[in-house]
Amino acid sequence: MTGEPSSDPAVDINNLSKSYRVGHLRPRRQPALHDLTLAVPRGEVFGYLGPNGSGKTTTLKALMGLVFPDSGTARLLGRPLDDPRCRERVGYLPEHPYLYDYLTPAEYLDYVGRLFGMPGPARRERARELLGKVGLTAAAHTPLRRFSKGMLQRIGLAQALVNSPDLVFLDEPMSGLDPIGRRLVREIILELRAEGRTVVFSTHILSDAETLCDRVALLREGRLVAVGRLDEILKIDVTHMEVLISGLDEDELAAIGAGAAERRRTGERWTLHVPEAGLGAFLRAVEEAGGRILSVQPVRRSLEDFFFKEMSPPGGASWAD
Amino acid sequence: MGGLTRVLAVASNTFRETVRERVLYNLVFFAILMTLSGLLLGQLSIRQDEKIIKDLGLAAMDGFGTLIAIFVGVGLVSKEIDRRSLFPLLAKPVRRSEFLLGKFAGLAFTLLVNVAVMAGGLYATLVLTGRRPDAGVLAAVYTIFLGLCMTVAVALLFSVFTSAALATVCTVSLVVAGRYADVLQHVREAAPGAPAWLVQAVYYAVPNFHLLDVKDHVVYGDPVGARALAALTAYAVVYMAVVLGIALFAFERREFT
Repeated sequence: MTGEPSSDPAVDINNLSKSYRVGHLRPRRQPALHDLTLAVPRGEVFGYLGPNGSGKTTTLKALMGLVFPDSGTARLLGRPLDDPRCRERVGYLPEHPYLYDYLTPAEYLDYVGRLFGMPGPARRERARELLGKVGLTAAAHTPLRRFSKGMLQRIGLAQALVNSPDLVFLDEPMSGLDPIGRRLVREIILELRAEGRTVVFSTHILSDAETLCDRVALLREGRLVAVGRLDEILKIDVTHMEVLISGLDEDELAAIGAGAAERRRTGERWTLHVPEAGLGAFLRAVEEAGGRILSVQPVRRSLEDFFFKEMSPPGGASWAD
Repeated sequence: MGGLTRVLAVASNTFRETVRERVLYNLVFFAILMTLSGLLLGQLSIRQDEKIIKDLGLAAMDGFGTLIAIFVGVGLVSKEIDRRSLFPLLAKPVRRSEFLLGKFAGLAFTLLVNVAVMAGGLYATLVLTGRRPDAGVLAAVYTIFLGLCMTVAVALLFSVFTSAALATVCTVSLVVAGRYADVLQHVREAAPGAPAWLVQAVYYAVPNFHLLDVKDHVVYGDPVGARALAALTAYAVVYMAVVLGIALFAFERREFT
């Protein structure tokens, strides 16, 4: 990692808004991002989540200079977006990358290295290293036109890392990858974090966000809905406890007032959902009735539950890709 | 220095693309054309067939080059936008101006190679068939190359604005108009109602390929002086600078959604 001024956040977005012109006969502006303010500290793996059309890709494109914000500012690694040096330490994997199919992976990575002004031997060495990292050493000299979607995604990831960036943006990095490829990308993201680099990635695959992210931002219809650690976001919903007990039959459960509770029987064991407020009384009642308490856990919604319940876009649009 | 490196990187990749996409295969057709002309024109008088070989060679050079300049040129940027292959590149520390100039330079270099090999083929045909290898032909080759670079600039301009299909239509229209720039200049003789300012504006807006066409002079042995070549060079450079300037202005403002 290079020595950029480290006091600034890796990503610092202030009041960023963006709309697109739609329609030909009666053109109008369709908002894509509303007044987005967001900071990502250095060294984090940050998940950028939201349904289709929520503004994730627009945000990344605005940060990469591919679209221009209507208003607001942003800084990457302490530099404003219009500073040409801003992207020297940044990597970017676009969604569904198309790479020049007449080149081989080695040639493509060499080309990208030239754009960063890397000398020839360093480019070749870096290309070899990255092809090994994404598991494509054997295909280094195969034209990209013969590559599968997943293999192209891996090369797309490799090109985002050519300059050993301090900050990496990955737009749907797991898209098109098989389980092996997804695992490989997860490992690369964790490796980048271990090296102290910042990774911001958008994804629909919520388990990946749960596994990898230090913090996440949730976006809906261009507005920031929530940002923070996953447990902070999800603990809001800890209103019930899951209690695992044994040694009581159905009548005994009914006698202690758990007859109406949400419950599931597995052999001799019962799993019951008990309101947090009544937990103490319930546990005492179980013990007094001769039951055994095997475990008590808060019922935590998964990120997926949170999305589907809280963030489903109106009109029945889905999270599906 | 870094900017030049990046322009050259984009240019060399563009050149490699044209080679890999077999654009230079047109040289095979040129070779066949030259061989056939050398063999079939042996029946004519020496002076006459020499003119025909030169004429044919230069016309083929111009024709093949123009086709490449238009059909490859219109895809230089629009194809990159359609396929989104420029997204990862513009996210690097590459200025849009560097990308655009690199694309222009890459195709111009392809055309330079194409024209140089064809010129070599033309001279080889003249020598092998016992004709006079006239150095004056190089003047026509040079102005053909200037014209091709202007065509690339025009194609690139439309490529920035619109799709490859529409850019092709617009570029072909402008190139054809440019070939008949002399007719355009005197259009008021046929249509007196046409406003003079409009005719002048259109005349200066189209690439004046008629001005650059010195093939007839060369074929008939008339020398093309250095001053004339310098003036034509200045015209081509100014025209390209203006067209590329407009293209860059548009490209800098273009959003890639």
